[in-house]
Formats: sequence, C-alpha cells, structure tokens
Amino acid sequence: MKLAYYPGCSLHSSSVEYDISTRKVCAALGIDLVEVKDWICCGSSPAHQYDDLMSVALPAKNLAMVPQTDDLKQVCAPCASCYSRLKFAQQRLKDDNLKKEVETVIDLKYPDDIEVLHMLDVVTEKTGIEIIKEKVVKNLAGLKVACYYGCLMTRPPKVTGKKQFENPTQMDSLVEALGAEVVDWNKKTFCCGAAFALTKTDVVLELTKKILTDAESSGANAISVGCPLCHANLDGRQTQINSKFKTNFHIPIFFFTELMGLALGIEAKELGIFKHLTDAEKFLNERALV
Amino acid sequence: MRRQAEGAAEAMKVVKQEDIKLDGSFAEEIAKLSGENVFLCYQCRKCASGCPSRMFMDSTPTELMRYAQLGMVDEAMKKNTIWYCVSCQTCSTRCPQDIDIAHVIDTMRIIGQQKKIKAENNKLPLFNRLWMTMIMYMGRAYEAGLVAALNLFSGKPTKDMVLGMKMMKKGKLKLWPSFKKPFATMKMFSRAKKLKK
Repeated sequence: MKLAYYPGCSLHSSSVEYDISTRKVCAALGIDLVEVKDWICCGSSPAHQYDDLMSVALPAKNLAMVPQTDDLKQVCAPCASCYSRLKFAQQRLKDDNLKKEVETVIDLKYPDDIEVLHMLDVVTEKTGIEIIKEKVVKNLAGLKVACYYGCLMTRPPKVTGKKQFENPTQMDSLVEALGAEVVDWNKKTFCCGAAFALTKTDVVLELTKKILTDAESSGANAISVGCPLCHANLDGRQTQINSKFKTNFHIPIFFFTELMGLALGIEAKELGIFKHLTDAEKFLNERALV
Repeated sequence: MRRQAEGAAEAMKVVKQEDIKLDGSFAEEIAKLSGENVFLCYQCRKCASGCPSRMFMDSTPTELMRYAQLGMVDEAMKKNTIWYCVSCQTCSTRCPQDIDIAHVIDTMRIIGQQKKIKAENNKLPLFNRLWMTMIMYMGRAYEAGLVAALNLFSGKPTKDMVLGMKMMKKGKLKLWPSFKKPFATMKMFSRAKKLKK
C-alpha cells in the first residue's frame, strides 16, 4: 500500500517520536509512505480564528502538492489537528466560489479526489486489525490502557465522517489486539485544552487533570493517544499539574503507534519512547517490554 | 386601596411597540462571514452542558447565541467568553439545530481582531498573529521561536522555561527554524490580501 504522508510541524519537533514510530510501524506493515514534498503548515490553531480564507487555502495547498499519480489518491496525517484542517478544507471547498478563490491564492489546481485519512484509520481500516494481530510478536500484557481520542479525530462527524463520535472504539480494538487490557472510562473524547497550552495554560492544567484523574480511577496505568497536542499536554504537563493540584500522577502516555511498534517487536529506543517527559522506561522495564 | 393601585400602574411601565428595537446587524455580519444563522438557536443549553471550558467563561455558549440574536455586541465581544473557546467542536457536534457554534465563535474572534475590540487578559490575538507571520515567512511553524516571542511580548519571559529545557534536552524542540520555500507562502499571503480587497 502506498500513501502520501503529511507529517505536519509538531511531528518535526515537539512530537518527533510520533513521526519516528509511525514510519517504523508503517515499514513493518508494508505501508509505503511518500512524504509530500515541501509541505507547509496547515494553519492549525490560529488560521481558523484569524483569517478564514487562509484557513482553507493553507490545507488546500498541501493537498494540491500531493503528487498527481493514480496510485497516490490517499494522504494520511498522524496529527489530529492537521487531519481536521485538511478535512475541514475539503468540506468547505465543495463550494465552487470559494474553490475558485482558493485556487487563485494557491496558484495550483485543487484536486477534489484525494481521500484524507488519520493514521489510526490507516492501520485499523486499510490494513485491518486482524492482519496486525497476526504480526504481534510481543504481547503487551500488564498494560491497562485508557484510549484517549481527544476532539478532532472524531469531531465534528459532519467533517470527519465518523459514525462513532461520542464513544469511539477504533483505538480500543487496536490496543486490545496488541495484547493489552483496555479500560472503560469517561473522558475518551474530552478536550485537553490543546491550543491553549501557551496562551491559557491554566485551562490546560485543569482539563488535563480531569483526564488523568478519570483514567487513573478507571484502573488505567497508561494512556494511548493519537494527537501530538494531546500528548504534549498529558505527557509534558504532569509535573506542573502535580505541583499545582498536589496530586501524584505518573502515568506514561504513549502514541498508539509506539504501542504497535512494541507489539511488533521493535525496540523501545528505536521508537523514540525515551523522549517522553513522563518517564516510560521504568514502566516498560517492570513489564519486561524493554 | 386606590393609592396602592395607582402605584402599581406607575411601576408597571407600558412599553410602546416603537420602543422595542432589535439590532440584527451583528447576526447578519456573522451570517455573511460564516454562513451560520444564529436565529436558529432556541436555547436548549446542550452546547453549554457539553462545553469543557464553560467554567472559565463569563457567559455560556447558549447565552452567547442569545447575545448574537439580540445584537448585544458588547456582551458578546468584550467579555472573555469567545476567547475561552477551546475549539473542541463539542457544541457544533451536539447542536440539535445544526448551528456550527465553534464556527460562529471563530467568526466573532475574527471580527474582534479586525475591529481591535480588546478583551481582558487575552493573549490569543498575539498568538494568532505571531504564528500566522511565521507561516508567511517560513512556511512552517517554529515552536521554540513561537514560545519565546509569545512570552517575551506578553511580559512573562520565563514562563515554561523548565519544561522547554527538558524538551530541548530530549531533542523535542528545534533551536533553529526550517525554511520551506518562504517566497511561495509570502506570495500566497499577498494574493489572498489582494483578493480580499
């Protein structure tokens, strides 16, 4: 399977381990990722609340830069925010007048036959959970995982086309197939405060605390995510949360691709897991997964 | 008895029809920019119930929709409500009237930034301006630069310093930006500017 790959800005800096593990896992599954050449920022958090035209034009330009060949009609974005902006642009560009304006701005022809996929869609729907299950060499026994979807992977369903948006189960079935135990919990699609990490950090600390509390009280000892912003907040802010709310969280946060990599027999170090700010090394050591 | 009745009549002011004026221009401006019709809202409060950020807001998203319907621009734009929306899309997903509330709030933010209406203690317009400028000149976001510039301009240069150092140590923050064909994005922004005129 050949896919165009749009990593996005976060995967080239703050969530570099998501990029590394995605590439490793795809190689192991026989998925050929072709990175979109000279891709630019999708406009992420600021564009849609600052400049409506650019919020459509920036993702449209990236879609227009996907090589126009017959075997590259799908583009995958591991970042939930990139995925959402690309999907939103596709939705808005059904309007012919806006499409004409955007084509003038990007100075390229906008292709309307490209399918945008989140990395989770690729592995669960295109590859298939059964096939992944056959390739598992190391069961993730001892892991009790709370699967956290956040906002933009499923919402709004009009844009993402997802049928399960209040209680999604895609990641749960995947993580279960890797041999881990999946816990039932309430905050699967609750917002972590994402884009407010820099501007209104108090909001992020409050919302992230709620997510960690619910995961822990539901019996989880790890959280699996599919978004670099969720990861940055849940993984990177635990020390700040502990000192602000007098809590004692130490929950390792994994990208689902990292869990897949471990189960497929790839070394934790090669997957970039040791780059986490909430240490996962000791946790994996105790469960003989390193 | 009689005096009491007279007093009541005095307190109960009769409002003439011509005194009731609703200003629909704010709702019209929102509709023109976003295609969303705020008059469809019948105040069911589903948006307010699901909003993860409402505990920080001066008024709920439901009240915000009412302000938009009634043309109460100051209540809608000068309070912190619109600036505390986390864009999580919960309200837009659950609205039984299919109003994309998050889009309405985005539109109010755009109007607010264009007209330079200021809300208290609000760094979002600065954040937006910095990031968009970065895209224009570099093509991509440059996280370390964004954090540094934001903290510097908002007068808190040491905010998140410890976290930043940890990230840098782990190789999670690039010290230098990467430039991806900056002239292409600069041209894109200038074509958009021309088009808007």
